[in-house]
Amino acid sequence: MTALLETPPEAPAARARSLPLWANPRLGLLVLLVVLVVLFTALRPSFLDVDFTLVPMQADISVYVVVGLAQLAVLSLGHMNMAVGRMAAMSAFAMGLAYQELGTPLVVDVLIGLAVGAGLGALAGLVISRTGVNSFVVTLALDFALVGLVSLLYAKATDGVSFGAQPGGMAALRTDTFADYCAGNVCGPPVPLIVPIAVVAALLVGLLFRWSRTGREILMTGASVKAAELSGIPVGRRVVQAHALSGLLSGLAGFLLAVNNGAFSAGIGDAFLLPSFLAPVLGGTLLVGGAVSVLGTFLGATITQVIYKGLNLLQFQVDQLKLYIGLVLIVALSLDRVRHVLAERRGARA
Amino acid sequence: MSKDAVLRPSARLGSVVAILVLALGATSACTKKSDDASSGSKTLTPAQVKLALVPGGAHPYFQPWKAAGDKAKTDFGLGDVTFNETSGWDQTKQNDVLTSLAAQGYNAFGIFGVAPENINNTFDNLKQKGFVVGSLASCPAGDTDKADFCLSTDVQQAAYKAAKAAIEAMGGQGNLVHLTGNKVDSNTQRRIAGVQKAVDEAGGKVKVIDTITDIDTDLQTAQKAVADLLAAKGTQINGIVNTAYNPAVASAAGVKQAGLPIKVIAIDDDPTIIAGVKDGSVAATVLQNPVGQAYVGGYALMKLAGGCTMKTPGVVVDSGSFVVTKANVDSYDTDRQAKTDSLKSDFDAQYLTCK
Repeated sequence: MTALLETPPEAPAARARSLPLWANPRLGLLVLLVVLVVLFTALRPSFLDVDFTLVPMQADISVYVVVGLAQLAVLSLGHMNMAVGRMAAMSAFAMGLAYQELGTPLVVDVLIGLAVGAGLGALAGLVISRTGVNSFVVTLALDFALVGLVSLLYAKATDGVSFGAQPGGMAALRTDTFADYCAGNVCGPPVPLIVPIAVVAALLVGLLFRWSRTGREILMTGASVKAAELSGIPVGRRVVQAHALSGLLSGLAGFLLAVNNGAFSAGIGDAFLLPSFLAPVLGGTLLVGGAVSVLGTFLGATITQVIYKGLNLLQFQVDQLKLYIGLVLIVALSLDRVRHVLAERRGARA
Repeated sequence: MSKDAVLRPSARLGSVVAILVLALGATSACTKKSDDASSGSKTLTPAQVKLALVPGGAHPYFQPWKAAGDKAKTDFGLGDVTFNETSGWDQTKQNDVLTSLAAQGYNAFGIFGVAPENINNTFDNLKQKGFVVGSLASCPAGDTDKADFCLSTDVQQAAYKAAKAAIEAMGGQGNLVHLTGNKVDSNTQRRIAGVQKAVDEAGGKVKVIDTITDIDTDLQTAQKAVADLLAAKGTQINGIVNTAYNPAVASAAGVKQAGLPIKVIAIDDDPTIIAGVKDGSVAATVLQNPVGQAYVGGYALMKLAGGCTMKTPGVVVDSGSFVVTKANVDSYDTDRQAKTDSLKSDFDAQYLTCK
C-alpha cells in the first residue's frame, strides 16, 4: 500500500479539533432518531410494542439498509444505479429458479442469486467504463430492459408471478426472532433472524471503504477521475467493481425482502428506487462521489422507517401519510444542512 | 480530506456493532423454544372485537367498505371498526399497515391482499398471533387459503353472467370482444374461461374475435386500446364484454362517441356506467357486492373471535354478482341487499360451527 492511501494519523485529529462534536452529521441524525422515537412513543405507547412494532420494524430496516448500501456502492463513484430494484428482482428470480430446478439448499440458492446480481452490476459498470456514457442513462436503460425480462421469465418459469415452493429455512427466517432460541432459560433478544445478515453486509461495506485498497481507490476515483488515473489507479476496473458490489447488494436486499414477504416474486424491488437514495443521502453520503457513510445510511434508513411506522400508528390516511413523510424529511434534511453550514463557518473561523 | 472525517466515526462504531454481532452469534447455537404462544386463543365479546378493513390500496371499488364497516359496528356492537387504505398496492407496506393496526389493538382483519401469491404468509403471520382473518374481495392464488375464509366475487361466474347478458343483447349471434386486466393474474384466466363457457353454450352462433388483456392499469391505457379496437374492427363487432373497471368505462364512452351499434356489457356501478345503462349506451353491467363483503365479513370475523370455528377453514364463499339492465337499474340494490342477508344466514347455517 502506498503512503498516499494510508490515512495520516494527525490529519483527522486536526480536523476533529476544528469542528465541534455537534457538527458530526451522524450525531445530528442520532438525535433526530431519538427525538422521533420519544415523540411517537409519547403519542402512541404501542410504538414500543415488541411483537407488532419493534420486530417488524427491524426486519424492514434490514431490507432498506441493504437497499441504501446498494446505492451507496455507486454513489461512492459519483454514479447512480437506477436499476437497484430490477437487479433485486432478477437475483430473487435466480434464487427461486435455482431452488425450483435444482432443489439446492437455501445458502446455495442465495449465492447463485447474489452472483446474478453482481453479474448484472458488473455488466452495467463495464458498459459505463467502456463507453463513457453517464451511469444514470446506462442503468436506467438496463432497468427498462430488466422490467420486461423479469415478467417474461416469471411467466415462463412459474404459473404466475411468484415461485410456489420456498427453500427450507426461509419461513424460519421470516417468522423467528432470537427470542425463540434459548440456551437453558436464557433466550436471545427479540431481534429477527435476518438482522445479522444486514449488519454483516453493512460491516463488510464499511470495512471495504475504510480499510481496503480497492475501497479507497474507488473513493478516490469518485473524488477525481483524473487525479485517480494520474496516480495509477485502474479506474475502469474500480468502476466495474463498484457497480458489481451495487448489484450484489441489490440482490441481497431482494433476498431479504423475499424473506419478509415469504416468496420470490416478480414484484420484489418495485419500491426500492427512492429509498435507495433516501437512506445514504440522509446519512451524509455525497451524490457527487468521493465520500460515503455506512453508519449514516443505517441511520437514514432507520429514521425513514421510524417516521413511516409512527405515522402508520397514528393512522394517517393515505394522502396525509405521503404529505407528512415528505414534510418530515424536508425539515430533517434542512435542519441537517443548517447545522452543517453553521459548523463549516465555525470550522473556518477556528 | 473530508472523506476521513466522514469515514472515521462509522469505522469506530463498526467495531462496536461487530462485537454485538458476535454476541448474537453465540446465542444462536442453542435450542428452539416450542411454539406455545398461539395455543391460548381466547374468546372475545363483540365489544372487545376491533375490526380492521384493509384493502390493497385506494380504489373506488373499496369505498363502500367504509359505510359497511360503520354499519357492522352499530349492528353487531363491535368495539371499533377502522378502514385503512394506505397500503399503496405494495405488499410490504400492507404488511406494515397490518402490524401497525395489530399494535393498536385491532384483533380482527378483513383483508384484500395486494399480492395474491404472497398473501398466505401475511395471513399465516396474523393467525399465529391469534387473530381472526378474512380474505375479502379476492382469494389467495393457488389452492390453499390460510385465512379463516375467503368472501369474494366468483369471477368466473361473474364473467359468465356478463357474457350471457352480452349474447342476449346481441340477439344470440355475432362477434364478441372481451376486454380485461392483467394476463398473468389467475383471476383473469378464470374470467376468460367464464366468457368462453357462455360462448360455447351459444352453439357456434357467437364467436370471440378478440380478447384484450393488460388494459386495466389506468383509464388512458384502456381508452387507447378501445380506440384502436374500434378503428380496426368496429364494424365487425356486435358486442363488447368487460370484466375490468377501466376498460368498462373506456368502452362505454368509446362506443357512444363512435356511434356504432355495439352492445357494451360493463362491470361495477361507477356513476358514468349507471348513467350509460339509463340512457341505453350500456346494455348491461355486472355488479359485485363490496358492501356484503365488508358487512358479512365483519359479522363472520366477530363470530370467529367469539369462539366459533369454521367448518372448513379457508372456505371460499361467493359474495354474489348481479346483472343490471335498464329494466332493473333503479331497484338493483334491493337484490344486492337480499344477497347480503342470505350470505349472513349462510355463514350461520353452513360455514360456522358455534358452541
